Amino acid sequence: MRQERVYVLAGNAFALSDEQGDMVVDPHAPVGLFSFDTRFLSRWVLTIDGERLNSLSRDDMTYFETRFFLVPGAASHYVDADVSVIRHRSIDSAFHERITVLNHSAEPAEYTVRLDIGSDFADTAEIREPRPRDVAIIADQERRQLRLRYTRDRFVRDTTVSSTVPVDVDEGGMTFRIRIPPEGNWIADLHVAMTIQGAGGRDLRVDLDEHRHHVRRSMREDLEEWLGRAPQLVSERPALQRTYERCLTDLASLRYLPLSNPGPVPVGGLPWGMTLYGRDALITCLQTMAFTPELAAPTLRILANLQGSQLDDVHDEEPGKILGELRYGEAAAFGDQPSAVYYGAADTTPLFVILLDEYERWSGNADVVRELRHPARMALDWIDEYGDMTGDGYLRYQTRNPHTGTVNQGWKNSLDAITYADGRMPGFPRATCELQGYAYDAKRRGARLAREFWGDPAYADRLEREAADLKRRFNRDFWLPHREHYALALEPDGTPVDALSSNIGHLLWSGIVDDEFAAAVAGHLVSPQLFSGWGVRTLASGQHPYNPVGSHLGAVWPSDNALIVAGLRHYRRDAEAARIAAAVFDVADTLGGSVPELIAGYERHVTKYPVQLPAAGRPQAWSSGGLLMLLGALLGLRPSGDNLLVNPALPAGFGRIELLDVPGRWGRSDAYARDRAGVHPGRRARVR
Amino acid sequence: MARSAAEYLTALEPRRRPELPDTTTGTLRLDARENGRTEHWYLTVADQHVEVSRSAEDADVVIRADRAVFDRLAAGDTHISSALLRNDVTVQGNLRLMPLLRRIFPGPATARHPRELGRRAAPRRPGGQEDRR
Repeated sequence: MRQERVYVLAGNAFALSDEQGDMVVDPHAPVGLFSFDTRFLSRWVLTIDGERLNSLSRDDMTYFETRFFLVPGAASHYVDADVSVIRHRSIDSAFHERITVLNHSAEPAEYTVRLDIGSDFADTAEIREPRPRDVAIIADQERRQLRLRYTRDRFVRDTTVSSTVPVDVDEGGMTFRIRIPPEGNWIADLHVAMTIQGAGGRDLRVDLDEHRHHVRRSMREDLEEWLGRAPQLVSERPALQRTYERCLTDLASLRYLPLSNPGPVPVGGLPWGMTLYGRDALITCLQTMAFTPELAAPTLRILANLQGSQLDDVHDEEPGKILGELRYGEAAAFGDQPSAVYYGAADTTPLFVILLDEYERWSGNADVVRELRHPARMALDWIDEYGDMTGDGYLRYQTRNPHTGTVNQGWKNSLDAITYADGRMPGFPRATCELQGYAYDAKRRGARLAREFWGDPAYADRLEREAADLKRRFNRDFWLPHREHYALALEPDGTPVDALSSNIGHLLWSGIVDDEFAAAVAGHLVSPQLFSGWGVRTLASGQHPYNPVGSHLGAVWPSDNALIVAGLRHYRRDAEAARIAAAVFDVADTLGGSVPELIAGYERHVTKYPVQLPAAGRPQAWSSGGLLMLLGALLGLRPSGDNLLVNPALPAGFGRIELLDVPGRWGRSDAYARDRAGVHPGRRARVR
Repeated sequence: MARSAAEYLTALEPRRRPELPDTTTGTLRLDARENGRTEHWYLTVADQHVEVSRSAEDADVVIRADRAVFDRLAAGDTHISSALLRNDVTVQGNLRLMPLLRRIFPGPATARHPRELGRRAAPRRPGGQEDRR
């Protein structure tokens, strides 16, 4: 039986431990203390008189703070200890742990409290097989410090563990020989600083104005304000209320401040995606526009700042391309992975333009649209100049880095994700269908920005013509008349790749679907082949490569489903939208806690319970954001001029919902909705 | 033979550079160390133009490295972001200006246009359509 993992988390820093709070290397999970893609502690094990501790209970106070209540001895023992231990840990840019040992007996007691401490300074890219590193260790008795340092050329990572109380420090950890009076306690505070060395042995981050000026306020206060700025949900369903608040909190936990400080942006999620991914961040921002719009401008700004500018095969970079991934670890630094700034993503560039337009529609912030005109133009030019790889007018991808490049550069990025129904793999460069939808949407939105803000009506006309032409060709070349759905992709020679996949739902979201085909697409999405009862599968069952536990071959992703539901509502397929949305909310209710990135694609009536996959992390920004997007789509929230439009279509059983103080260019506005039992369809906007 | 950073900067033409964001202005100082002495290059960026001078004055961002590292950056052999992570380059000041250097120096000489791959994979079909662009 695998142990539950417990985390504390703040942006891209996190500590993952077992239920006792101990951290011991595990090849299957990034256990330890991490920051900026480096493991700063790989061993952190507490014993009392040589015995490991056993968990009584735990208080996960917030995402950045947890208390473990422990007693010595194995779990099988009858617990009647004279001694108990509280480990209270928290994380911000450093890690803190307060160890309290309580003597419950009427006699004074002496204990040897030992903390094993070590670090392998592994990169997040090599958790499965960390390579051995020479770590210099200094046990500084006088300063009550243990310093661990890894050096490679000028690259230096440094962990310093300090104790507030007297301690014996050795190279493997710290030992406290303590005496506690009857009914008394003993307390030690341990502080773990994680340093990324820059010039002159100082922390890199100290030299950057922006990072230095960022005044870290109390994290509790920050969380409260974050929740306070989000709309308030009033619902008769306690489960919905719980899910809503959980999603907001998870999004708060996954904000981090990049070195150039554009403001907080979302990381992908725990445990494998604790860095900026262009795709995850853009989609999260699109999903959360009605709830936490403050993520959008910083995300747009950092992506614009790091926009591709050169042709570079190793990094799959081209001028105008928006980045896929940004990492800070050793593998990125020394080029083992191209991930310091990696551009191997074909969807991020159109999504950048889509987010810029969507952000203006909601916020009315025209300054950002003007400020980012140049990067948006570069992004739009990229679609045709570099994305259209064979010259047939479709956006395609193929990595130019055969060693470490990403093979599939859409959101379905596993190796076997793009396939024919019979399991054959298409050639490269591949044109997956959803990319064409994004390109279409980006051109249409780019046209609006050009006309309304950039004073360039000729360019707007051109983009609109190109978009209309793309839509026409797409509905001719991707549509499979005999199957009545769109192909998953096109081969380089234009042959359609015939698999039935969830990607067709993204097409609705982008608006590229001909009206005459919308009913058929909606029908497929709720068919038994695609709809599991918990949501839409990535790939329909009944096809050769279908696999309910394959990430992109049958599993169900809440983020994917959110875009699909929003798309269905665009095409007024309200019944299908409500059915899928209700299923995904059921997943969240049934599992409790943070919404996982994906669940297995098994039939709901067979498993009765959403089956979680080991590969699926939580919290995940675009899963938490996805549930918010589902809520917004069910309410039919949409900016129209300076007003918030509300056009609800709630699933049966949702009862009455109020979403109060939705932020936007209207200031704050409220949305009210009732499920069909209430018979008030199409309630108009209420503007305060 | 690739040019050194010094040669590259000296020869930098005062033309408009459409690849630079038009809203970005700022000053960058490059401190190139070699044999115990430091050469300063001062770049003023405004209106998609780059003006190069030799000055040790304060700048919005100061980028320090060995001369050899600047030469590799100017030849497109190393990416400034990984050089920063390696601590081969140190940056003081406004990090948002750092990507300008990536845009001013050329990329890797051997890089291919994505169309090179695309054309190989999809040779024009016999009797097929003309390229749409």
